[in-house]
Amino acid sequence: MSGDYDHDYHTPEPWGPHDWGHGAPHNSFSPIFLSIGIAIFLFAMAEAWSYGTYNPGNIPMILLGLLVIGFALFIWWRQDLSFDGHYEPLATGVPFRGVQIRKVGVWVFLMSEMMVFTSLFSTYMRYRLGIENCGTVFDRGMFDPATNPTGWQEGVAVTCFEPASHLIASSWWHLAPGAINTFALILSSFTIVQALRYAKMPDLDDEARRKKVYRYLGATWFLACLFLTLKMIEWFIGFYVPEISAIGLHEHDIISLVDEGYTINADHYQHHSYVDEATGAHMVANIQVSASLFYVTTGTHGAHVAGGIIGLSYMTFKAWKGLYTPNNAVSIEYFGLYWHFVDLVWVLVFPFFYLY
Amino acid sequence: MAHYKILGQDPYWMNFYGLMILTFIEVAAVGLDLSEFAADYDTTEKVLTLWILTFIAIPKFIMIAAIFMHLYGDADSGILTLTALFPAFFIIVMVLFVGLTHPDAATSLPAWCRPGYYEF
Repeated sequence: MSGDYDHDYHTPEPWGPHDWGHGAPHNSFSPIFLSIGIAIFLFAMAEAWSYGTYNPGNIPMILLGLLVIGFALFIWWRQDLSFDGHYEPLATGVPFRGVQIRKVGVWVFLMSEMMVFTSLFSTYMRYRLGIENCGTVFDRGMFDPATNPTGWQEGVAVTCFEPASHLIASSWWHLAPGAINTFALILSSFTIVQALRYAKMPDLDDEARRKKVYRYLGATWFLACLFLTLKMIEWFIGFYVPEISAIGLHEHDIISLVDEGYTINADHYQHHSYVDEATGAHMVANIQVSASLFYVTTGTHGAHVAGGIIGLSYMTFKAWKGLYTPNNAVSIEYFGLYWHFVDLVWVLVFPFFYLY
Repeated sequence: MAHYKILGQDPYWMNFYGLMILTFIEVAAVGLDLSEFAADYDTTEKVLTLWILTFIAIPKFIMIAAIFMHLYGDADSGILTLTALFPAFFIIVMVLFVGLTHPDAATSLPAWCRPGYYEF
């Protein structure tokens, strides 16, 4: 490690801020508080919705968990705010000799994240290929004991796979939030790289660096918030398209996925196109598997974006205070790896969950 | 940070432009009517779209990992690329043995793949 053993008899403050001139701290209370906070939060969340029943008595425990998590992050940030780039530990053993240990740590963390998303993707593939598509079932036509014994019957729910793309990719307007989000994430990957570039630029004066870095980090924060906002609009709210006759645009509403009935407990879902023209009969479907897969996978990705917003809020604040220098800009690089990974996952989520 | 150029230009800007163009193609592939092209290749529009989306997702994935995540061009890029690829083995196992199996996979195997087939 580079100078990490150069400690004198100074005792680092476990609550932060840390005097980095005396060596790297090893006695932070932040990790243990973070673990306790997450445990309280998750246990309380699990109890809050037990077997489909909502138990409001668990709300105080959920809030307590969030409070402990916030407190742990506060300690962490107090220690990080004072970090001036000294004592960045380097690996000494094979195969990572000379590489920053924290960077390797972020990559190992990303490896575990890859496994999380791979399990979600393989589950999606399994069910997408293993359960008959609702469109295929509908195309078989209505049930007739003599001529079409495998057809669907009105009022009898068919268990089939209904991809969310059937709604989302049905028009340019439905696709708009997801498409804008794709561009927003790519743009945010670019803005965070720019923030790192200017933070590391040695021949830039402090004020110019401060402005560049906090503007690029602020832009990344804004794009991340835009992403989640559009996701909420797409899932729950919908939006209104006004009449603009000059370009042939007619006034109409774009209905959210939930209002369309695309929910995780939809056992009588009916897409507007599943109507038999001859009889006017509707095909209804149990789409709980496909809807759950869509919401869990895109929701897990959204949770990662939300986590990124928390980190970006702090980093933008730190940049605004002018605390990033070429020496400690690696923090932006490490966070950037996580953020690019979030973008990377979206590169696969968008085509396979939103378009196909 | 990147110490190289792409076509004489800044790699981050070039990567950004490339990703934007590929995403436009992706969205267009879904929005445009490709049924005639699909018929030319004796397939359905949905299958053609899936192929286009898959072929575009691969370079996008590599562009972000290589250039934005610095898995290309830095002193530690090699070992970090190997680190990033380490889960690939588990990913292949998961995708092949979980993602691509069917409920009737065991019964729908071809005859040469079932017990009792001993012709050589």
